[in-house]
Amino acid sequence: MALTPKRVTAGLAALVAALIAFAAQAGTLEMVKQRGALVCGVSEGLGGFSDRDAAGAWSGFDVDFCRAVAAAVLGDPQKAQFVPLSTVERFDALRAGKVDVLSRNSTWTFEREAGQGILFAGVDYYDGQAFLVVRHPTITSALELGGVSVCLQDGTTTRANLADFFKANSMTYSEVIVAGPSEAIAKLESGGCDAYTTDQSALYIVRLGMKKPSEATILPDVISKEPLAPAVRADDVAWFDVVKWTLYALVNAEELGVGKSTLDEALQSQRPAVRRLLGVEGDLGQNLGLTKDWALRAVRAVGNYGDMFEANLGARSRYAIPRGLNQLWQDGGILYAPPLQ
Amino acid sequence: MRRDKATIERGGGARRLALRCGLLLVMLGAAPVRGAPPDAVTMDVGDEPGRVSTEEVRIEDGPFARQLVFFRSNEAPGTLVISTADRFLYLVLGNNRALRYGIGVGRDGFQWSGLVKISRKAEWPDWTPPPEMIARQPYLPRFMAGGPGNPMGARAMYLGSTVYRIHGTNQPETIGEAVSSGCFRLANGDVIDLFSRVDVGAKVIIRQAAQL
Repeated sequence: MALTPKRVTAGLAALVAALIAFAAQAGTLEMVKQRGALVCGVSEGLGGFSDRDAAGAWSGFDVDFCRAVAAAVLGDPQKAQFVPLSTVERFDALRAGKVDVLSRNSTWTFEREAGQGILFAGVDYYDGQAFLVVRHPTITSALELGGVSVCLQDGTTTRANLADFFKANSMTYSEVIVAGPSEAIAKLESGGCDAYTTDQSALYIVRLGMKKPSEATILPDVISKEPLAPAVRADDVAWFDVVKWTLYALVNAEELGVGKSTLDEALQSQRPAVRRLLGVEGDLGQNLGLTKDWALRAVRAVGNYGDMFEANLGARSRYAIPRGLNQLWQDGGILYAPPLQ
Repeated sequence: MRRDKATIERGGGARRLALRCGLLLVMLGAAPVRGAPPDAVTMDVGDEPGRVSTEEVRIEDGPFARQLVFFRSNEAPGTLVISTADRFLYLVLGNNRALRYGIGVGRDGFQWSGLVKISRKAEWPDWTPPPEMIARQPYLPRFMAGGPGNPMGARAMYLGSTVYRIHGTNQPETIGEAVSSGCFRLANGDVIDLFSRVDVGAKVIIRQAAQL
């Protein structure tokens, strides 16, 4: 087909339109760099995930993930700024550009992503509805809960999940509706119910509030899928890559044995995968628009995934949540990151 | 945390720790050995023969308390998986769950990985520090009969033909630390519990953090 001047003009117009659209979409990384700060949406206060102390300093797992992104992009974890957002306003705030990334214990679901202008950048915490049990030390599985009384909060998906689970497993139970965690604790301790069900991460926090935490068992089973994931705007795939691969870099770092306490040793490593991760060899950062030591900076800031988990939620925190599903795939969990190569 | 022996033993280094299991150092060459990171958490506590930790001591709270956890594994129920980096011992129960115990593990140079079987079980095992250690640290007993003041603790499970054991301790505060010469120690109450659940012949998988 011959190119008429008219066709060329039309083609050029389309190209220019595409370029403008591209520029509009590809803005977040440049904007963050120009601003010199990363703005993160976090929860208004959830122990272990994002919490503000009396002096206004933020800490927690979701907070640390933001700091890792800030370190990867800007070279300084202190350049992450935090905006507390309610559950209602969180996604609108992200869509409106008030935050660059939402790191706010948000469950990744179809309804929140498909057609919603939002992309979830990979699961950073596998949560799910679980059971805390008292006075039944022999129960080791949720399948042994037949006949118990279960405390729960109404008006959530919790109740439907519970009914489904007991029905599917041909068990009976009695419901005791409570207004919140503190009433649940009171009921558990007074004998008002044998078990309490909500998301597993929250159960560990509830257990801390009990008079005798060691007498409560949190069963390892989860009966629903609550994959918590950081989210970004769907119109900026380059930024999506930055956030997603920062998360995967932290997970890969743990798998490779590269962590806060081994970083200096790791920089001397001869293993190609370690050298690639840390930018000693090659330049993986280039494809992200970052420097080649992006992942090194992220790990230096918060450690690897395991460091981040243990410090905020796990063995080195007051919550002492076992890694469980959030353990690496090779060590008994389901945490699995695509390779950095 | 008790550090009363620290002055005496400072500089004794890892060789001193070989004593902790009543082991001969020369035998360590036979096992796969890997160095721990230079700033790994270690403690400078000595053996405290004679110090009595009651049989009932269990870790009750916190991450090192015995607890049921999610643990995806293809290993048969009854298998032990030891994660030295995390200081946990898992007893595989099947159906994606395990009983998790907090442990103390080997310190620098005494961390190893491999697959072995429980070859023997003993209650209140004796302790016989090897002669070269006696020469270096004359205050140690030549032989110590099993009992509440014995550093071996209430129970021992011998790991294959290696010199290592899973055993109790009279120093329960060292659980979660890297202090031994390669043995895995549990609080006495916890090792008694584990002992009752594990049979001779059970498979034991020892895992390390990835080698850099």
